Amino acid sequence: MIDPTSDRDAERFLRIAKMAERGRLTVYLGAAPGVGKTFRMLQDAARRLAEGVDVVVGVAETHGRSETAALLEPLEVLSRCVIDHAGHALDEFDIDAALARRPGLILVDELAHSNAPGSRHPKRWQDVAELIVAGVNVATTINIQHIESLNDVVAGFTHVRVRETVPDSIFDHAELILVDLPPEALIERLEAGKVYLPETAERALANFFTPLKLAALREMALRFAAHSVDRRLSDELEISGEKSDFVAGERLIVAVSAGRGGAPVVRHAKRLADLLHAPWTAVVIESASARAVRGSQREQLADNLALAASLGASLMTVAADDIGAALVDQARQLRASQIVIGKSRRTRWFEWRHGSVAQSVIRKARGAAVHVVPLDEADEKPDKRREVSTVSENSVAVLLVAITVGILHLVRPWIPPGAIDLVLLLPVIIAATRLRLRAGLWAAMAAALSYNFFFTEPYHTLFIHSPAQIVTFAVLAVVAIVIGGLAGKVRRQAETSAGVARLNASLARFAGLMGGLSGRDETARVACREIGGLLDLEAIIVSLEDNRTVVRGNDAYGRIDVVDEAAFRWAIENGVATGRDTGTLNASDWQFHPLKTSLGTMGALGLARPSQERVIRPDDAVMLASLVDQTALAHERIVLEGQARQVDALHERDRLRGALLGSIAHDLRTPLTAVIAATEAIPVDGDYAEEVRIARAESRRLQRFLNDLLEASRIEHGTIEPRWESVDMTDIVTSVVRDLRQDGPEARVSTRIDSDCPFVFSDPLLLRHVLINLVDNALKFSPAGSPVDLELDYSEGRALCRVLDRGPGLPEDMEGLFERFHRLEGGDRVGGSGLGLWIAKNFVEAVGGTITAGNREGGGAAFAVSLPVATGQETDHGLSHA
Amino acid sequence: MHSDVLIIDDEPAIRRLLVGALDRVGLSHIEAASAGEALRLAAGPQAPAVALLDLGLPDRDGLEIVPQLAAMGIAIIVLTARDATEEKVTALDLGADDFVTKPFDSAELLARVRSALRRKAGAIVDPLRREFEGGSIDRAKHAVLIEGTRVALTPREFELLWALSERPGRVMTHTVLLETVWGPAHRGDLDYLRVAIRSLRKKIERDASHPRLVMNEPGIGYRLANLSSQSD
Repeated sequence: MIDPTSDRDAERFLRIAKMAERGRLTVYLGAAPGVGKTFRMLQDAARRLAEGVDVVVGVAETHGRSETAALLEPLEVLSRCVIDHAGHALDEFDIDAALARRPGLILVDELAHSNAPGSRHPKRWQDVAELIVAGVNVATTINIQHIESLNDVVAGFTHVRVRETVPDSIFDHAELILVDLPPEALIERLEAGKVYLPETAERALANFFTPLKLAALREMALRFAAHSVDRRLSDELEISGEKSDFVAGERLIVAVSAGRGGAPVVRHAKRLADLLHAPWTAVVIESASARAVRGSQREQLADNLALAASLGASLMTVAADDIGAALVDQARQLRASQIVIGKSRRTRWFEWRHGSVAQSVIRKARGAAVHVVPLDEADEKPDKRREVSTVSENSVAVLLVAITVGILHLVRPWIPPGAIDLVLLLPVIIAATRLRLRAGLWAAMAAALSYNFFFTEPYHTLFIHSPAQIVTFAVLAVVAIVIGGLAGKVRRQAETSAGVARLNASLARFAGLMGGLSGRDETARVACREIGGLLDLEAIIVSLEDNRTVVRGNDAYGRIDVVDEAAFRWAIENGVATGRDTGTLNASDWQFHPLKTSLGTMGALGLARPSQERVIRPDDAVMLASLVDQTALAHERIVLEGQARQVDALHERDRLRGALLGSIAHDLRTPLTAVIAATEAIPVDGDYAEEVRIARAESRRLQRFLNDLLEASRIEHGTIEPRWESVDMTDIVTSVVRDLRQDGPEARVSTRIDSDCPFVFSDPLLLRHVLINLVDNALKFSPAGSPVDLELDYSEGRALCRVLDRGPGLPEDMEGLFERFHRLEGGDRVGGSGLGLWIAKNFVEAVGGTITAGNREGGGAAFAVSLPVATGQETDHGLSHA
Repeated sequence: MHSDVLIIDDEPAIRRLLVGALDRVGLSHIEAASAGEALRLAAGPQAPAVALLDLGLPDRDGLEIVPQLAAMGIAIIVLTARDATEEKVTALDLGADDFVTKPFDSAELLARVRSALRRKAGAIVDPLRREFEGGSIDRAKHAVLIEGTRVALTPREFELLWALSERPGRVMTHTVLLETVWGPAHRGDLDYLRVAIRSLRKKIERDASHPRLVMNEPGIGYRLANLSSQSD
């Protein structure tokens, strides 16, 4: 079963506990429109209603069919909310009404629906997800082609790409009900006009309704449903603790590339990961050339990564030049058993020249299976920013050649003719290394022409006279290309590492700055200034204090409006980025990133950019994640420091109180000593005998009271540290009796001692204190003339010390007897601090004993202190009971 | 002229009380309010036989002057608070004779003072014979007499009683007794002492469960009852 003490199990336990609070999702899955999903859902709803479930219809599309509409009759239908969009009033599902209504089950048709702009979520599946999280059970419908990971496959054979997709994760814990209809029957229904198709989509959708495509879609739906059942089974096994690990520890890694080709690879990886029940990681290899890709492709890369994240992958970015090697390396580090890569259709020539990543991965991957996903997209050019050399660079290259030619002219008599072409290589090499590739080529051309023109016969013509000149020309060109290419690569690598270094330096600087701050205001101000500067945007830090939003860090933005606040609250409650450019509440001007710490969410970092551009540039995503983490850490540190200061203050207060008590006790004790000594010195006879007696008794009482207070403060401060030693209880009992005799003749104690009682290992002073308190207490309640009995016995390994009186005894309800300031009935009359028994109990427990109270046979109270006698090592020295 | 008691306490009220008590029983006394003054008086012409020392002094810790006073042959009775067990043990180990816990009973205090004075006055007649309340111990004859009856003790019990009876009424700390009777290697073996005390009591006490000769000071040590010191 589950053992919550192990980390892994604890995590699973939490997950299961979380799942239990969530609502259940039931999905009616169909292969195509018209199979009867809504009908079936409403039928089931009617049955549930009959069973007494509180069923409410959020959205149900009847498509104008009377049979379906009839099923709606008995059900409560929520009214839609109207959203005004560009002058059109659009009906949308009212999620707030649904949340407020909190039904037992809500029907929300058409999971893949896109909400009207201005709704809380852009997509209906997000509404459903929110309902599930809020603990509401939902039933919904979807067609197979709307499922994100199957989108490509469906588009592949139907040639209809559906834009409204639903991420697979929403089906993770859903119950899937397959609404199945054989293709022939469906086509029959279509022909009978029973399937409603919106006119605009009619033609496109009609493409679906060929027996072959419907059969394929049906097979996919069946497979998806079967697989989902399989996963639900494994979830349940996990809950019952019968299965806890991924099958055979499979782990999958997928290389995500820019371009449209990336998405199908990601989807393929997702399907594979699901089949293997494997966790998967999407890796971006940032090579020098990848860093050079253009902006639109960077955005595509970010989109592909976002897709991977939405399908449940963990993300990772690695900087390396050899994509294949880096990928294999990463796979090894993650112990991935499966590697998924995409492969464009490229010409053999292209591959020969550039090398194929797929080939290199297959060659290097030892032990891991490599899945190569062929990409339909036409051969994508390696989208690097072509290194365009400027006109001025080209001129510089040509000028270099000209200067060389000039110098050659001057020194020509001393140079052997065979060396001239070698000398002309110099400007080409310089231009190729120092300038760009094209400038190198310009230099090569200029050098070849100059060589031909000035240094070969016939001079001052461009006439090519010997094949050797062609060779020279070719050699110069090849040198320029090779060196230029190499130089370019080196330069790009330098740029990449400089970029990484800059990023790291920025982060290090940021971390350094964050570490030295105190106070939330200062931290927020510096964090916002730095983040704003680094990412070139506006930053604020919003937190929730006493349920009020507080905006810090940027004087220009003192507060946020209602929409922004909704996004902020969503971000901190759900722990996800919310607002502008995100999937949730994107009407907000700000994008909020929750500041998550081990102490909980400390608020959110709000980011905005005045222009229409994306808030987070694709290149900045990695850096932003680090900055958010650092900011969260800084906030956590400040809170922890605050708590530490509070604890310190408490300690200080405790210390002061202790010192105060100590000094008061000391100051009281000195005059009290004088009072007691003085009253003791007065003879108890003559006219004032009674007064003297009272003065004596009362000053003794005051003294006991003071001692009790001091002991109580020791107990409260936890400074009771027993001085362990071998103790003969006989000694303790006799010394208690001796002490009490000082109090005068009214202290009548008779003792009965088993002098063979073994020694106990204890603290003699604490024990004496206990007995004094118990005897004192007994004396208070004893009627005049009746003695208190103090008995010491030994039985069954324990020394038992009993204090017995003949007073009124203890009440039936003895609860709180050993509590502080508990006074027995009549206790006030006889006086006492109300601390005596509490102190006794604490002391006894400090030395490992027990104290009990009860009534004595024949009337009176009996208190018993039971102590374990010394055993083992303590009896080594020949302790005998003889 | 020598005096009987030196009162060392910075509290004038306590000093006046002690003076009153000593006056009533006719004991001579001198007073010091500080450690420095105490040392000066102790070395002066009025050198006392007994010092009543309050450990909380304004100029110095009272414990510091215990060895010096003891070296002058003065019997020291320490006045301490009830919970200051370690302080008592330290004072006794440093050479103090006895202690009285504040707030004190003046009758008990006077009894302790008289006991100390007697120890001082009772010059050792016979170095091999000691007396205590109700009995005597004779080292030469290896004989112990309790109320006229000879009691047979083991060598260890004999040594223990001999150590306790060196100065009856004076508190001997556990450590001192263990070192004297068993040797320095056993100064921590409190069990040895407990066992020996118990068997000694069985032989010399009238009722071992109500001891009147070998008295225990919990957490500190043992003392042998002095002649008439526990008269009340």
